[in-house]
Amino acid sequence: MEPTSPTALTDLVRRAQKGDEVAQRELIVSYQHRVAGFVYAMTGRSDYVEDLAQQVFIKMVRAIDRLQAPAQFESWLFRLARNTCIDQLRRQKLRRIFLPFGEEHENIPEPPGAVDSEELDALRHALEQLRPQDRALLALVQEGRSHAEIAETLGTSVAAVKARLHRAREHLREHYQPEHET
Amino acid sequence: MKPESDAWQALNRHAAAQLRGGFADRVLRAAHGPQPAAWRQLQTAGAAQLRPGFAERVIRAARAAADMPSLGSQFALSAATAALCVLAVVYFHQRNVAAADERNLAEWRQVVTVAEDFDAGLL
Repeated sequence: MEPTSPTALTDLVRRAQKGDEVAQRELIVSYQHRVAGFVYAMTGRSDYVEDLAQQVFIKMVRAIDRLQAPAQFESWLFRLARNTCIDQLRRQKLRRIFLPFGEEHENIPEPPGAVDSEELDALRHALEQLRPQDRALLALVQEGRSHAEIAETLGTSVAAVKARLHRAREHLREHYQPEHET
Repeated sequence: MKPESDAWQALNRHAAAQLRGGFADRVLRAAHGPQPAAWRQLQTAGAAQLRPGFAERVIRAARAAADMPSLGSQFALSAATAALCVLAVVYFHQRNVAAADERNLAEWRQVVTVAEDFDAGLL
């Protein structure tokens, strides 16, 4: 599904930058599953996945001509995804403050076991306990982003990323309890 | 001694009965944290939420968004409209004030003329 080589990806990105809709579509199809997985890891809500993934790719289509290094497309795309999810989580938090009794259905977490296996339930539950920034960090690592790329995305040093990652992994382990034994 | 050891055994049995099946596996899983398979399941579950035709919907939405005037241009248009309205209000206000001044001045001139005629008549 994904472009087979970095050169093929760079070519595809260059065509997309020139407004070639076929190339833009190919990029979306290539990355939609990974972005959807990332969004799900960040929000823990299956009903947000399509909407947020769509927002991410619309931003991609509208801003791709400003991407200066086509070879860094992947890390750029996941930075867009991270920022979109964090914005959504912030908006949700603000809505909860200003409309505590409104749209209550938005705040209902998915019941464990509704759609998932035991491990997936446990992972979702553990991720929910982390700060969105830590969730993003872990999800970016799962996406194969290097420490250097993550440091660039977050505007921090590689050492700081390693330290935060270590803490995030510790927290995840603390909360990772298959079958919700807590 | 017998009853005491029986009691200990009973206690052990009771405690052991509290552990559900697969206890050791669960402990190991919790100790090692989520395995790559769990992350893969998470990604698969996320990807499964996208309805068919996702890419086409995104392209259509991006095209529609591109056709819409940008926030900046909407703001510029609003600002220009507001500035025009203010200019129009100021212009008409000035014109009304000038017309009123003109009218008042003409009336005063008339009053002065009448007063002068009256003075001349009296004299």
